[in-house]
Amino acid sequence: MIGKCLGAQRCRKIHRTLRRCKVTVFCFVLTVVVLRGTIGAGKFGTPEQDFVEIRDHFYFRRRAETHRALVDEESDDSKLDPDKPYSLGPKISDWDKQRSEWLKENPDYPNFVGPNKPRVLLVTGSSPKPCENPVGDHYLLKSTKNKIDYCRLHGIEIFYNMALLDAEMAGFWSKLPLIRTLLLSHPEVEFLWWMDSDAMFTDMAFEIPWERYKDSNLVMHGWNERVYDQKNWIGLNTGSFLLRNGQWALDLLDAWAPMGPKGKIRDEAGKVLTRELKNRPVFEADDQSAMVYLLATQREQWGDKVYLEHAYYLHGYWGLLVDRYEEMIETYHPGLGDHRWPLVTHFVGCKPCGKLGNYPVERCLKQMDRAFNFGDNQILQIYGFTQKSLSSRRVKKVQNESRNPIEVKDVLRSLHPAFKAVKVSSS
Amino acid sequence: MGQDNFAPQKRSSTGGAGGLPTIRNEAGAGGRNRGFPSMPRGRQMHKTFNNIKITILCGFVTILVLRGTIGVGNLGSSEAEAINQNLIEETNRILAEIRSDSDPTDPDESPETELNPNVTYTLGPKITDWDQQRKVWLSKNPEFPNFVNGKARILLVTGSPPNPCDNAIGDHYLLKAIKNKIDYCRLHGIEIVYNMAHLDKELAGYWAKLPLIRRLMLSHPELEWIWWMDSDAFFTDMVFEIPLYKYEKYNLVIHGYPDLLFEQKSWIALNTGSFLFRNCQWSLDLLDAWAPMGPKGPIREEAGRILTANLKGRPAFEADDQSALIYLLLSQKDQWMDKVFIENQYYLHGYWAGLVDRYEEMMEKYHPGLGDERWPFVTHFVGCKPCGSYGDYSVERCLRSMQRAFNFADNQVLKLYGFRHRGLLGPNIKRIRNETATPLEIVDQLDIRRSVHGKTESKS
Repeated sequence: MIGKCLGAQRCRKIHRTLRRCKVTVFCFVLTVVVLRGTIGAGKFGTPEQDFVEIRDHFYFRRRAETHRALVDEESDDSKLDPDKPYSLGPKISDWDKQRSEWLKENPDYPNFVGPNKPRVLLVTGSSPKPCENPVGDHYLLKSTKNKIDYCRLHGIEIFYNMALLDAEMAGFWSKLPLIRTLLLSHPEVEFLWWMDSDAMFTDMAFEIPWERYKDSNLVMHGWNERVYDQKNWIGLNTGSFLLRNGQWALDLLDAWAPMGPKGKIRDEAGKVLTRELKNRPVFEADDQSAMVYLLATQREQWGDKVYLEHAYYLHGYWGLLVDRYEEMIETYHPGLGDHRWPLVTHFVGCKPCGKLGNYPVERCLKQMDRAFNFGDNQILQIYGFTQKSLSSRRVKKVQNESRNPIEVKDVLRSLHPAFKAVKVSSS
Repeated sequence: MGQDNFAPQKRSSTGGAGGLPTIRNEAGAGGRNRGFPSMPRGRQMHKTFNNIKITILCGFVTILVLRGTIGVGNLGSSEAEAINQNLIEETNRILAEIRSDSDPTDPDESPETELNPNVTYTLGPKITDWDQQRKVWLSKNPEFPNFVNGKARILLVTGSPPNPCDNAIGDHYLLKAIKNKIDYCRLHGIEIVYNMAHLDKELAGYWAKLPLIRRLMLSHPELEWIWWMDSDAFFTDMVFEIPLYKYEKYNLVIHGYPDLLFEQKSWIALNTGSFLFRNCQWSLDLLDAWAPMGPKGPIREEAGRILTANLKGRPAFEADDQSALIYLLLSQKDQWMDKVFIENQYYLHGYWAGLVDRYEEMMEKYHPGLGDERWPFVTHFVGCKPCGSYGDYSVERCLRSMQRAFNFADNQVLKLYGFRHRGLLGPNIKRIRNETATPLEIVDQLDIRRSVHGKTESKS
């Protein structure tokens, strides 16, 4: 070949060099491939990305479709101006007046549906996307059925939210813009009852003692000493609370919101809260800690209208309750609402919809089943059935059917309690 | 590599047979093996040794590359992946346990006894004077009237099985469906009962609604109508109100087509996915006449054969409640049909396939409140079975369509609050109306309840 032209020695040298070059290039290529496989090479991608691209290429049509479908949906939002302080909406200062005028003009939508019974709207919600945990949606469904049952028995309406009204206030803060929107759109609602999706009613007969709160605007489960004196971050719980519709509520929401906007504001606020509150771990600001902080630091402004209730479980921490259900069934009866028969069992920290909660998955799910059954039993018993056991999904008949159902007085009385009675017009 | 081989080559060539100094290339540089006839043993071993070294090196590099691309199982997985894997395994185990409903603590689990086929199944003790009993109760309980604000009291009944769906996404759509029903019922003052219990183990599956409806009728004398709705049906017209005034003389309102029923005897002439039952003696009697084909086992199988033989187009499978009702109404026409209203002026049940693709067109041309093919009242996803494993349509198409129906309806609810979905597929919403300091001006215009109430007032 070339060697013949240039002479044997030369030829050998060239061959040697060529060989070395080949080897060098070969090793270099191998190194690059290995590094790309392990670390990735930026925009040149990784082998996994290659695989995904190849797969997508074969499904190009499907991609194009979904892309078309999404193109009009994911158009760019106008970015929030970082210099403007966050606000939930335009400032309203005469909401009480606006609302009372409206109520006067609309006597068909009174804010009190009975002598001592205000119109209540129970608000709860969950993400519009499927749960990461495959059973999460099933437990959300059961929790919703549980709320439907309690609210039907007590004449309360439900609003189930699945929309993120304000992208700045995502996560646990999303309830604030939602609550404000609902208060302003439903002037006939006297009390808005926020309830987390992981909270279940376990006392179907207990009615909230509304007269107790006639001078209060915000009712939460908690203890005065733990909030005002100790500044304990779990001194109250914002998983289940009552908020009266009025100017005070709008002002409170405005004062509560500033720690919420996600990103730097929320992180910084989280640090402040961890520093100021007792026992709080380090994480971004959450609405509950922010409420404790707000009340503890501005007690004169808000404290007189806040009722921290602990006579019954407006929020009941599940860890203390779920193992005692059998004992409760044996010893007590529904209608008490407190440690003997809790109104609400709240599965804080379980996160059945997400992937990682603070407790083992199995314990959480099993106990949620038990709490659901504990509540459902009280409904089924009205209709003459009961769950076979708190862990079972099967029911059995406990009361023989009668030929004269209206004479089975107890049953009908539980289904037609006084607080659900319609006002009889005097004619 | 080449250099290693070089030195011995040179030595060998000079100490060899004295021929031309040839360059002997071993592995790695491609062979131009001019080949000396015989090689000393030591050199051969050396060569072999080099080959082995190279082979091992290449093998090592190959493994590295493969690991980088595919991974080699748990030799390579990181800690996060391991946690993930554990979580998935645990969840699957719990799911399997839940689905099998194994209850080791239940001591009274008696073996299931087969229903005696000679004894006619009954839903409960025969009641013959329910109208009278009910009237008495209503007169004694005036604070629980059957008409509230001029409107008959309705209870919407729906439900789903107590176990998690076989397909996890099914539970998500059950959740969306119940939210959809909660919204409609809140706007129209209707109460909901969501059933998750098998009240009668004989009548499980689609037959479960019969004992449930009976139980609810008897426990709630104040109810005028019971409205059964399947879990796979969505409200898509939030403004439309059922025109109850049309049904004063009827006790059962069901969507269907009379010609399909009487002339063709088709098994889909009526749809029992969404129907209204008046709370009265007639309804109890109908339920009693309807139930006998239901009990599972040989009765249901045999009944299925009769139905397939008598109804047009029915495939062969066990008796279902819809076919059984059609057969009942056909064979006992004179007894029942005078009180049955077959409604097709609006979509009390709307078969989804013909509707979901037209939502954009509907939004452009029409408005809510029509309830018919221009703006369907109910979109019913028959045959989709998102909860089970086997539907008649592709899962993806079903889920996309259900999402579209959900968003279509949700837009009507969010309008009052000033939002709408960006598109019919995604979860994101956008603001369509700026907030003001005087929100009540708009509330009056947009609240669906106000417009509905206004309509009923003008009628009465």
